[in-house]
Amino acid sequence: MFQPLRPWQWLLVAITLAALAVLPLLSSNSYVLHVLILSMIFGIFASAWNLVTGFAGLKTFGHHAFFGIGAYSSALVALHSGLSPWLTIWIAALIATVAGLFIGLPILRIRSMPHVAIVTLGFAEIVRITISNLQSITRGELGLWGIPPFESFTLPVLGEMKFSPADKAGYYYLILVLLVFSTGLITLLMRSKSGLALVAMRDAEDAAESLGVNLTRHKLLVFGVSAFLVGLAGAFFGHYIGILTPSAAVGPDLMILVIAMALVGGLGTLSGPLAGALVLTCVVELLRDLNDLRLLIYGAIIVIVVMFLPKGLATLGPIVRRRFTYLRAPTTSPAKHL
Amino acid sequence: MTISLFIEQIINGLIIGSMYALVGSGIALIYGTMRVLNLAHGEFYMLGGYLVFLLVVTCGVPAYLAIPIALLAAFLLGALIQRITIHYLLQREGWAFSTIAVTLGLSIFLQNSALLLFGENVQSVPYYVTGIVEFAGIRIPMQRLLILGVAILTIAVMTYVLKATRLGWAIRATSQDRDAAAVVGIPASRIYLITFGIAAALGAIAAAMMAPIYAITPWSGLPILFKGFVVVILGGLGSFPGAIVGGLLLGVVEAVGVQLTSTEWRDVIAFALMIAVIWVRPWGLFGSKS
Repeated sequence: MFQPLRPWQWLLVAITLAALAVLPLLSSNSYVLHVLILSMIFGIFASAWNLVTGFAGLKTFGHHAFFGIGAYSSALVALHSGLSPWLTIWIAALIATVAGLFIGLPILRIRSMPHVAIVTLGFAEIVRITISNLQSITRGELGLWGIPPFESFTLPVLGEMKFSPADKAGYYYLILVLLVFSTGLITLLMRSKSGLALVAMRDAEDAAESLGVNLTRHKLLVFGVSAFLVGLAGAFFGHYIGILTPSAAVGPDLMILVIAMALVGGLGTLSGPLAGALVLTCVVELLRDLNDLRLLIYGAIIVIVVMFLPKGLATLGPIVRRRFTYLRAPTTSPAKHL
Repeated sequence: MTISLFIEQIINGLIIGSMYALVGSGIALIYGTMRVLNLAHGEFYMLGGYLVFLLVVTCGVPAYLAIPIALLAAFLLGALIQRITIHYLLQREGWAFSTIAVTLGLSIFLQNSALLLFGENVQSVPYYVTGIVEFAGIRIPMQRLLILGVAILTIAVMTYVLKATRLGWAIRATSQDRDAAAVVGIPASRIYLITFGIAAALGAIAAAMMAPIYAITPWSGLPILFKGFVVVILGGLGSFPGAIVGGLLLGVVEAVGVQLTSTEWRDVIAFALMIAVIWVRPWGLFGSKS
């Protein structure tokens, strides 16, 4: 569904990746790394939500359930079985996938968008309340702590990769790799035949079905992949933060944050949710002192973006450019640029 | 557990259920007429509660005056919100999703505005009536009976308005076919505005009646919104009578469920019931398939 990248776009991607890769070598400021790590966690989350909502058109509002399931599964498995977090994050992602397929099943039958929204919201509430009620296992709102961090290891060139609160470089590189993995997976999926089918399903469900698109299979596929990625991001989050509470890991606030990110960046685009995650995570950090106003501003951002920038910040560019060219050369026909 | 205690719980369930029905019927009215899922509906309930609290406790207005004032204010607020957001979005492509997203944003915005204005303290309103009615070993506080009475009255008035007044005909005509209604001179935009206001007022009635029993906090809208969603799914999304029956049913199911498990699981019971209904009858328990 995407056009092949032009050479300058490849260059841009390469430069961005290179800049992200050398950043910890230049600055050991752990606060900067922390903000970037959070941005990347939310980047995976927002991209995976966008995969279901923006690309496949299934408007779900319950993806924070998979984040929480991923976070708690990985933490609990690592705590009780002694397995390494390197392994448990994948187990947790698979558990989240199963949950995604489970909730995907009733959604398959429903074509009405409000029903899908309500069912997914309700499912996430069930998960949140269950995690908070099962205090003997999860310690509820008291918080599950003592989650083991990733084990350190030594790389030939870069030296030892440490995973500690003081030295965040290890976490940084790991989440960067996971982000590249998840973006790559989404790109591959959307460029495949299935990607075309998903977009067709979003734009005209009946027409897609009449042309032989297997709606059931594609809806389950997209829900499974998306839940897998969100679960993975959640699992990483648990081991990174080290303490989990139901309100922080499965709260509706989390979903609102991610929806705001995807909307701000631009729904149904590949880079939009990533850009949105970076911008809003930085905004949150800047507003840290105004903690009471944080959610108020989020609400306002969502309203303003939906009302005035329906396609996200990406549309701001063309709007500004059009104004600009209009002033300079009013005779230029917009059709020329198409 | 004795039989009379059990019956008492069922009656309590019906009473709480009648409030769920009022909230749910507001969501159903909005969805039925303009196909918009209003995620900010819980905030009308929350703000209604605060309005009653401000009038009754802070200003000392008697409840029988305060409640109508709060209703009017909620009506105007609902209409205003519709006019400045939903009205414009409905004229654009992709409104089915953009209206959900905008009401989500509004919900967060209103919730946190209330937090700034009123603080996070839990507020409550004194009982409007005191005393307990006792009948065959079943004890029901007067306050709860009053709730039931107000709910029945509200539902009766709404049914009359929808069935027998010109406004009601216009609302129903617009919900059946917007363009056909426009042909015979019904201004859809104004009907949408009024419907949104009425729905907000229905939420505020529920809030006013529940204020003496349930605490008023900036976050009290969210749980009731979820309850309202369960109600409209049970009754069939967009159906006014469906929402009434769905509300009463949810109240009773919750009351029985809590007896069998414990209070923490109340919401899980409600959502599980909803998902089960969607699985078996996506068009609702009482709606028709088409």
